[in-house]
Amino acid sequence: MRIVVEKRDNKSKSAAVLIPLASFAISLILGAMVLLASRSNPLQAYSAMLNGAFGNARRFQYTIVESIPLLMCGLGVGVAFRLKFWNIGAEGQYVWGAIGITWVMQFWKFLPVPMLLPIGLLVGMTLGAVWAGVPGYLKAQWSVDETLTTLMLNYVAIGLAEYLYISAWKAPLGNMGTPEFPREAWLPPVWGKIHSGLYIALAFVVLLWFLLYKTRWGFELNMIGKNPRAARYQGVSIKRNIVLAMLLSGAICGLAGSMNTAAIAHRLTKGVDGGYGFTGIIIAWMAGLNPFASILVAIVMAALTTGADALQIAMKLPESMGEVLQGLVLIPLLAGSIFVEHKLKVIKKEAV
Amino acid sequence: MKKLSVLLVLLLLSTTLMFAQGGKEAAPAAAGPFKVGVIYITSPGDMGYSYMHDQGTKAAEAYFGDKIEVIRMENVPENDASARAMEQLIDAGAKIVFANSYNYQDYMLQVAKENPNVYFEHCSGYLSNENMSNYFGRMYQMRYLSGMIAAKMSTTGKLGYVGAFNTPEVVRGINAFALGARAVNPKATTTVVWTNTWYDPSLERQGAIALLDQGIDVIAQHQDTTEPAKAAIERGKYAIGYNADFRSVVGSDNVLVSPMWDWGNYMIPAIESAMNGTWKSQAYWGGLEDKMVHLSPISPLVPKDFQNVVMAKQAEIANGTWDVFWGPLKDNKGAVRQEAGGKMADDKMLTMDWFVEGVIGSVK
Amino acid sequence: MNQQTQQIPVVRMEHITKHFPGVLANDDVSLELYPGQVLALLGENGAGKSTLMNMLVGLYRPDSGSIYIRGELADIHSPQDSMALGVGMIHQEFMLVGNMTVAENIVLGMRELPFVPKIDQIRAKITELSKRYGLQVDPDAVIHDLSVGEQQRVEILKLVYRGADILILDEPTAVLTPGESRDLNKIIKKMLSEGKSAIFITHKMDEVIEFSHKVQVLRKGKTVNTCDTAGVTPQDLANMMVGRDILFSLDRCAYNPGGVKLKVDHVTVVNPLGSRPFLDDVSLEIHRGEIIGIAGVAGNGQTQLTEAITGLLHCTSGKIFIDGKDMTNSTPLQVIRAGVSHIPADRGANGVVGDMSVGDNLAMKKYRTSEISRGVVIKRSFLRAFADKLIEAFVIKTPDQDTCVKFLSGGNIQKTILAREIDSCGGVLIAVYPSRGLDVGATEAVRQNLILQRDKGNAVLLVSEELDELQMVADKIAVMFEGRIMGIRDVKETNTEELGMMMAGATGVRRNA
Ligand SMILES: Nc1ncnc2c1ncn2[C@@H]1O[C@H](COP(=O)(O)OP(=O)(O)OP(=O)(O)O)[C@@H](O)[C@H]1O
Ligand SMILES: [Mg+2]
Repeated sequence: MRIVVEKRDNKSKSAAVLIPLASFAISLILGAMVLLASRSNPLQAYSAMLNGAFGNARRFQYTIVESIPLLMCGLGVGVAFRLKFWNIGAEGQYVWGAIGITWVMQFWKFLPVPMLLPIGLLVGMTLGAVWAGVPGYLKAQWSVDETLTTLMLNYVAIGLAEYLYISAWKAPLGNMGTPEFPREAWLPPVWGKIHSGLYIALAFVVLLWFLLYKTRWGFELNMIGKNPRAARYQGVSIKRNIVLAMLLSGAICGLAGSMNTAAIAHRLTKGVDGGYGFTGIIIAWMAGLNPFASILVAIVMAALTTGADALQIAMKLPESMGEVLQGLVLIPLLAGSIFVEHKLKVIKKEAV
Repeated sequence: MKKLSVLLVLLLLSTTLMFAQGGKEAAPAAAGPFKVGVIYITSPGDMGYSYMHDQGTKAAEAYFGDKIEVIRMENVPENDASARAMEQLIDAGAKIVFANSYNYQDYMLQVAKENPNVYFEHCSGYLSNENMSNYFGRMYQMRYLSGMIAAKMSTTGKLGYVGAFNTPEVVRGINAFALGARAVNPKATTTVVWTNTWYDPSLERQGAIALLDQGIDVIAQHQDTTEPAKAAIERGKYAIGYNADFRSVVGSDNVLVSPMWDWGNYMIPAIESAMNGTWKSQAYWGGLEDKMVHLSPISPLVPKDFQNVVMAKQAEIANGTWDVFWGPLKDNKGAVRQEAGGKMADDKMLTMDWFVEGVIGSVK
Repeated sequence: MNQQTQQIPVVRMEHITKHFPGVLANDDVSLELYPGQVLALLGENGAGKSTLMNMLVGLYRPDSGSIYIRGELADIHSPQDSMALGVGMIHQEFMLVGNMTVAENIVLGMRELPFVPKIDQIRAKITELSKRYGLQVDPDAVIHDLSVGEQQRVEILKLVYRGADILILDEPTAVLTPGESRDLNKIIKKMLSEGKSAIFITHKMDEVIEFSHKVQVLRKGKTVNTCDTAGVTPQDLANMMVGRDILFSLDRCAYNPGGVKLKVDHVTVVNPLGSRPFLDDVSLEIHRGEIIGIAGVAGNGQTQLTEAITGLLHCTSGKIFIDGKDMTNSTPLQVIRAGVSHIPADRGANGVVGDMSVGDNLAMKKYRTSEISRGVVIKRSFLRAFADKLIEAFVIKTPDQDTCVKFLSGGNIQKTILAREIDSCGGVLIAVYPSRGLDVGATEAVRQNLILQRDKGNAVLLVSEELDELQMVADKIAVMFEGRIMGIRDVKETNTEELGMMMAGATGVRRNA
């Protein structure tokens, strides 16, 4: 008897839904094994996580708040990924968004206060777009590998933010933070902890869905992503679209950063590089670059983070266990995506 | 495919059922132990800052026995996640919450305002509220003593200091160290490198190596790992520890001494007052006299009679007749920063952004 | 022949049925191949030939039916399984890994390969085999850098290296020049003389007659006829395939050219990697209502000429005019907007996006127009109606327009491109090997379509390697050799012999230069 991996004759629609579910179940089982090995009751642990993420209105709000930047970054990198442009610089673009809005809030004193927030968000978006446009242009013009440039630019952005909140823009009182934004310029809440960034994020879901699936530009991106040479033969400019897609991608990630800063920290401070940009990559991938699916995936990923707190509290497990469980969710899901296109076959030796 | 879907649905159903059962939280018993929440920036396993805080937590646990229950959360980032962590601790029944890193303060203040029945203790910041205190310790006093020992043992008179960030706390420590060194050797210099991180083994080591390469023979540090000290010892040079007693952690007498914290001496009375309802908001900055800080045992390599000199200085600080930043003091550009004949005011120390004479480097 | 039938067949497929979503690709097909024999498998595009063979090499599994190799029931799950039984296949679309070397490709995926292969031994064996069969290739060359003909040799080497003695060749000559085809035929004959057997899929009737011992014809997934080759004519075969007579002659209006539509004026394109330029001072004029054929052995600048015109390749010097307007080094989109449509040579790589639907692929030119879009928004209902119209007009065999193009048969992929380009043609049609891989019926339709474009007053540039196709369709023939045009002849005033000589580099007597 042996097991072989065969390509499916045709992509199975039900497999596309069932396989992620099955993968999720497998990861729960794997996680249970790890938990058992560390002498914890897996059921209790999982219920603690679920409870920690959704147990009451407050926790639910925290989970949603956490999912907003994740969703935005997932949408952002998803645009670039359509072109098979591996933008792993969302983290840096997010940080630029935070820098941008801080710049406006702190130094654009000539603006009337009510204008600070909208202009700040726009500037954050623009800076994020520029930060993504640079590797886009380098790739389009001189085929400079984008994985390397976008990754390196993350560290530049984070370093710059550090320099700003530690010294250049530091608040007179205290350390490692710029002055707090004027209260009137904060992103207003809509329900408890949940801020109005939620609406912006959802608006982007719809907008991107429309742009990617309904417009000529989305059609062109699809062509380039699936066969760039054929796209070029059809008159689609690859260079121009790479730069455009990267600008949009960076703008969304940048907006995520400026939104979150205006809603939560209200200043540029240590902790801006919260890893949303990196998790966004996973979200885009797991959602199959579909904006609507990204909502669900972002909530799941956020719940894994918020739920992990509960592991420490209720189960007295070390914080690292939360990370292990998060990792365990990812591996089968990513591995599972192979089986949407392939199937396993067990071959019993037949009598010859 | 059908069979598989049925199986999956069953599996999902059964897991949700199990969740539903396990999901019932044990209702917080009214007369259970008093719950204490603790939030750490790193993991106590780091042998650094959070480790020392956890020693304090452990001291409190030993002191109160089963009258309290401590819930720890580690590696909590300094953003919204910290507010979430505090709320989860409160949900779990915590009546007092400690958090040990500077940038938690905004979030703590916010949560404190929303939870007036819980006491909040923030370490290293300046914000407070009716139900939120901030607390810290005068570590600079110990830095001064360690600077004396470093200068005594140095053959070149060139000392090095690996600093994390240019915050007033770190700057103050460097200045105290340099002043201590100059008290023993008026020509001693202290060269500073910044790593811009609290915790990064390789960056910290690189910083130390850069200093050692300049002929520096004692390395002090304001970092959370033992790497700078190890780098010095590997080259046969001396090191000054921090947070933990590096001499026993690293296992070398070349670690001359380590300034250490005693957070338990703050946490125990704070918890006690919270339990009996006498808790009061304060901005606390305790020193040697309050037993917030102390020196580890000094390495046998340091001559006994000099150890006595250090101990005499320590006694002077403890009884309040003298303190480290005592005028006249000049900064390393020659400007007078403290007039002769007096102790520097706390607020000047808390916002210190200049280096004293004898420090090579810049705060920016 | 008789004694062969006494033997056990090396391949016996019995009652094979295979469904794909929406298609019955093979319907109770049986097939027998005897040792030393060549079986020609014929059928229209989408008749199920490739599918049947793919099941023999384990790429697909039959829904029902069984396969016997040398009389024994075989359970084939993968190409490795079939290779272990000595069955190897050269696919219609090559399956080489572009950025790996010849040697690496040849041993890639071999089951008995040690973890660290002994590359010297492999190289030696490749060299020995290539000498034996006259298949010159450099084992260290990277696939990307090889011509189609060379890539095909690599595919064959791969089979013989692995010891295949039952060869399956899926339209091996479709992409080859006549010369290369002759070489390939020699190689195959040599292999047969060593006792190997072969199944041969082709749309070229003369090859069937020259080569095969037996013919089996599929139509719509069913076997419609099996007979000995001796005695059949191309007409008979075409008739069996399509179920009607093929005319092999075309209707056309009288040659009555209009003004100059496309003018290529002293264009040179340097080759950054080679010594000789891709195009060397090429000049050409195409009038409205005229078909200019470009003849020449592949690799002499034909594709570069079309790419220079369509804005895909940068002209180093010279000018290109469309309707008198200077279009030199315009972007591909500008050229498209000027009314030029282009059927590229390498259909899989450049012509379609395999992972997009047939409908989307058909719309890839017109999606910019109001026929499909309103402003920047693509109207799905418009697109669907448009695609259905083309599928019907060009008889594209597909379950529906939502099927991914890559699941179509090779010939139907080609028809998808033809439909899109011919439909969107706005004055100039550039067709490179447009009938490659098409069955006789479809080939006839394409040629008729090219002529129709000409009759409508469009300028047509037809690149082909088949002289008879050019002579049948074109009004004038230009011959290219080493990036230069050796001469342009009126079809009526030239003959195969003269063209052949020009293709080999002779300038010939310039009569009207
Ligand atoms: N993987 C697949 N998924 C869905 N349909 C397929 C797939 N492969 C082939 N088909 C369909 O099966 C039918 C037979 O295709 P096949 O490739 O066998 O034709 P063919 O005889 O080789 O044609 P051609 O001469 O054009 O190469 C076609 O209608 C094709 O669309
Ligand atoms: Mg085929």
